[in-house]
Amino acid sequence: MCSVRQYVRLALCATLVLLQAVAQAASYVDVLDLPAKPSALAVRSPLLDVTRAGERLVAVGQRGHILYSDDAGQSWQQAAVPVSADLNAVHFPTAEQGWAVGNDGVILHSSDAGQSWSKQLDGRAIGELVLKHYSALASAEPGNEHWPLFAAEGQRLIEEGADKPFLDVWFADAQRGYAVGVFNLILATRDGGQSWTPLQDRTDNPQGLHLNAIAATGAALYLAGEQGLLRKWDAGQERFVAVDSPYQGSYFGLIGSPGELLAYGLRGHVFHSRDAGQSWQQLDSGLQVSITAAARDARGDYRLFTQAGHMLRAGAGADAALQLLPQAQQSPVAGATQAANGALVLVGSRGVRVLPVE
Amino acid sequence: MGTIQQDSMPVIRHVRDFDPATGNLLERSVFNHRPLFVLCMALITLLLGYMAVTRLEMRPSFEKMIPQSQPYIQNYLENRASLRGLGNSVRVVVENTEGDIFDPEYLEVLKQVNDELFLTPGVDRAWMKSLWSPAVRWTEVTEEGFQGGPVMPDTYSGTPADIELLRQNINRAGIVGSLVASDFKSSMLIVPLLDKDSATGQGIDYHQFSQVLEEKLRDQYEFTGASVRQGDAEGSGKIKIRVIGFAKLIGDLIDGLIQVMMFFAIAVLSAFCIILLYTRCLRSTLLVVGCSLMAVVWQLGIVSWLGYAIDPYSILVPFLIFAIGVSHASQKMNGIMQDIAQGTHKLVAARYTFRRLFIAGVTALLSDAVGFAVLMLIDIPVIQELAITASIGVAVLIFTTLLMMPVALSYVGVSAKAAERALIIDAHATQHRGLGKLWDLLDRFTTAKWATGAVLVALALGIGGFMVSLQLKIGDLDSGAPELREDSRYNRDNAYITGHYALSSDMFAVMIKTGPEGCLNYQTLVLADRLAWELQQHPQVQTTVSLVNAVRQITAGSFEGNPKLNSIQRNQDMLNYAAQQASVNAPELFNTDCSLMPVIAYLADHKAETLDAVVAIADKFAQDNSSEDRQFLLAAGSAGIEAATNIVVREANRTMLLYVYTAVIIFCLIAFRSWRAAVVAVLPLVLTSILCEALMVYMGIGVKVATLPVIALGVGIGIDYALYLLSVQLHFQRQGLPLSAAYKNAVAFTGRVVGLVGITLAAGVITWAWSPIKFQADMGILLTFMFVWNMLGALILIPALSHFLLRNPRRA
Repeated sequence: MCSVRQYVRLALCATLVLLQAVAQAASYVDVLDLPAKPSALAVRSPLLDVTRAGERLVAVGQRGHILYSDDAGQSWQQAAVPVSADLNAVHFPTAEQGWAVGNDGVILHSSDAGQSWSKQLDGRAIGELVLKHYSALASAEPGNEHWPLFAAEGQRLIEEGADKPFLDVWFADAQRGYAVGVFNLILATRDGGQSWTPLQDRTDNPQGLHLNAIAATGAALYLAGEQGLLRKWDAGQERFVAVDSPYQGSYFGLIGSPGELLAYGLRGHVFHSRDAGQSWQQLDSGLQVSITAAARDARGDYRLFTQAGHMLRAGAGADAALQLLPQAQQSPVAGATQAANGALVLVGSRGVRVLPVE
Repeated sequence: MGTIQQDSMPVIRHVRDFDPATGNLLERSVFNHRPLFVLCMALITLLLGYMAVTRLEMRPSFEKMIPQSQPYIQNYLENRASLRGLGNSVRVVVENTEGDIFDPEYLEVLKQVNDELFLTPGVDRAWMKSLWSPAVRWTEVTEEGFQGGPVMPDTYSGTPADIELLRQNINRAGIVGSLVASDFKSSMLIVPLLDKDSATGQGIDYHQFSQVLEEKLRDQYEFTGASVRQGDAEGSGKIKIRVIGFAKLIGDLIDGLIQVMMFFAIAVLSAFCIILLYTRCLRSTLLVVGCSLMAVVWQLGIVSWLGYAIDPYSILVPFLIFAIGVSHASQKMNGIMQDIAQGTHKLVAARYTFRRLFIAGVTALLSDAVGFAVLMLIDIPVIQELAITASIGVAVLIFTTLLMMPVALSYVGVSAKAAERALIIDAHATQHRGLGKLWDLLDRFTTAKWATGAVLVALALGIGGFMVSLQLKIGDLDSGAPELREDSRYNRDNAYITGHYALSSDMFAVMIKTGPEGCLNYQTLVLADRLAWELQQHPQVQTTVSLVNAVRQITAGSFEGNPKLNSIQRNQDMLNYAAQQASVNAPELFNTDCSLMPVIAYLADHKAETLDAVVAIADKFAQDNSSEDRQFLLAAGSAGIEAATNIVVREANRTMLLYVYTAVIIFCLIAFRSWRAAVVAVLPLVLTSILCEALMVYMGIGVKVATLPVIALGVGIGIDYALYLLSVQLHFQRQGLPLSAAYKNAVAFTGRVVGLVGITLAAGVITWAWSPIKFQADMGILLTFMFVWNMLGALILIPALSHFLLRNPRRA
């Protein structure tokens, strides 16, 4: 009996060794090459941004999750996504055409209202792109001391690999758009993402501060970022120019409408401007928590959301008061938008949360 | 086997008429030197008793309850030292039943509990965590960077302002659900224990530690004023102390063991009563119980001499040995009683009984030993030790019960009244009165009508039982610690803590093993994240925790808490920074040289289906992603170990049945030299085994480590009955008697013994049913069922099956 057992054990060992050999053949697949895995949990897992594509809602999140909903956030389908990198932001300038950006410098594009996505660019190509662009400028204009510095930045990006996340994306229409990220990373396209041009030299950001958000109010386009960074696009100069900042802490986002702009960020700070950022007024939130998302509700009021899940209301045409609104449950909010039926759809570390129209 | 040799044993009234040179060598050497033999036995008993008293210790070891050579367990044992988070710690929850934690009085008690635990020997103070630990801190991102401080304000003095600050800090620190209950009515102290006491260098005495928790914490704070701690009851005061963790569990198990030891007294007492009732003879009853106790002393002495300790399994061996001893000793007494009643001198009667029953007794003990020996094949140390210690016990019985008992009886004899009574009972039986009516009833099962009925009922029971037994589950089915009862204090505390804190106590961990610094590798972290995600897909996985969670959080923190940076960055500097921070905040997530990190899945339950599914997910992932420098190893954590145990138990359950039945069948073939008789003997056992499984389904007992010995013992000891009955029946049949008469003789000759054996065995184990240790209770119930049902099966089914198979044994 014993010898039989030993024999069986031997055979098992041999099988294990074989399996191990097979396992050794298994090679690591990078998040930029591994398609996102469909999962019923995606709707309850960390999501970072949500937007509208026409009537439809599209949300993006960790592990390459992109979800869309045609019933104002009640039910969601998961889109086919070619990468499993964490996605940070999404924007649809039209009902069909949209872009999503995220970690590892990934830029995705959808032309079917978010059901399927293709990769336009990833971090492995960005360094080359930057180096080439600024090297060309440097050789075209040898006297300008800036170009070699930006080219060197490109070289550094190549060396460091695909590790720079994009934090926000905004498209004016199906052709022209921007993707922004950490350490002054900013790319622009004029051909719907077929080609991308670095704009690092046009942000007035020699310190290389993080660009946390890009947003438009009417015709004006703004950047907001680390250490009080606020920039406004100047079409004449074709660059983002500095706006006087009322605050030296970081902004996480911007929201507004023609003639009105709110900037929000660290430790409950909210600022309001009626003159495109020339003068600011602080709105007291009474909170010490970072404000991380904002949306307009069905009445046109602004709703601001914090990292701890608080909800604040600022009346449109804001008078100075921010009003803290009670909620049945609270969970961190990273992105918010208004659904077609007027409900507010929030996303965050625990997935989707829908606040019905009051 | 009751080999019938009465014919050659004439009644001898005086010793002088008896030739001491007759009998085999063993008989002559024992009975012709009785004083020397008794002296030797007494000396050995003293020596072994001394051994038992001085050396025996209780050491429940979890390591021994797990299948050592199962690959998952080997992975765990190899890497155990690196798994701090899954290591040995107790969780103490202090609950305020009359309010919440923001109560100065509560916080004062919490402080005292904290200080008490801090000073308790064996506590790894540096890593202790509670609201009062300075190491429990809050951090916040500000314009200038991080800001933080201890959750308990430095200047705390119990003012409302201090309490308000504490409330804020708790929220800022994000410890709700981990250190503070989600309803704010209790808070937790996480108390890691050292492997060895730094002062003494000794391993921690879990029983002592558990006592400290009871006496210094519970008695002090939970049972204040008039209330006194009694058993499992909870205090009625304002404060409740709830404790879970390995050390507490072991402590409670040892308490349970002590309680079970007391059951032994009850088992002895009930055996005493049964035999007294049966014999009505005090001195021989005392002798039977005495000889059986002697066997237990020997067994414990030898076992402790060999260095074995008492654990929750081996503590059951004395019960079994005692019960088997009692049943054999009673047979000796029965034989001697009959001889004495017929007028034979007590010494001669003792020698006759020895001649008649020694071989039969050894055979029966051998068949018991087969049951135990089969257990050696199970790769779980406690079961193997059970097999060894029980085999020692069975060997001891040969001396104490088969030799010592008749020698002692040759001195003591039996009371004349009792002997007379035995004769009368036998006479009644032949006159179809008294017990004879019962034998007549059994006798009818040899007739066609009754035999058919019995077999059909048995078949129906067998089929029905089999259908039910298909639902038999593997593993433990209840929540909480499976070793203890569901309503024990420990499991109630466990249920409270699972209900009010975020993490369950069923942890399944996959170990990721790399070279030094390997756990900081970007790819390793991404793979750990993918594994965690795969595991989370299973609905019974509540959440997962690994270094990745900490890395993501710390990375976001270094980007001003931006949720979009809650990510694994490729930048090695950033990963190093995250790990360095994690080593301060959550050192349990990886080992010192960063070569091992666990991915822990918290499960909603530890049912076998859940464990199987999780193992399947993890195993597939491990096979797909392991490489030379990065292996994914299953499995650690309580659920991981249970999963591995289930795998072994499922396999062992099948092989065990196969082996034990093979052994028993071979045994029967040798004993009866008839395959038909073997079938008649074994089929009732098969029915009992099937019904036992059905009973397990009915009672919600899964197949587990504890049920394996039950099946082996039930069959191994259960065959005894058939051996007694059938051998006598075949003996008479081979002498030419028809089946009915042969069976009637067999029943008259051994039926009483079969009944007595069944009842004494059952009485020996039924007390376990009240054990606070759950699996002992399960074993007690199942074994009792098997002993009794085997007895009934033998008495009813053997005649019925004989009707169909053994009407003419010579043909077979």
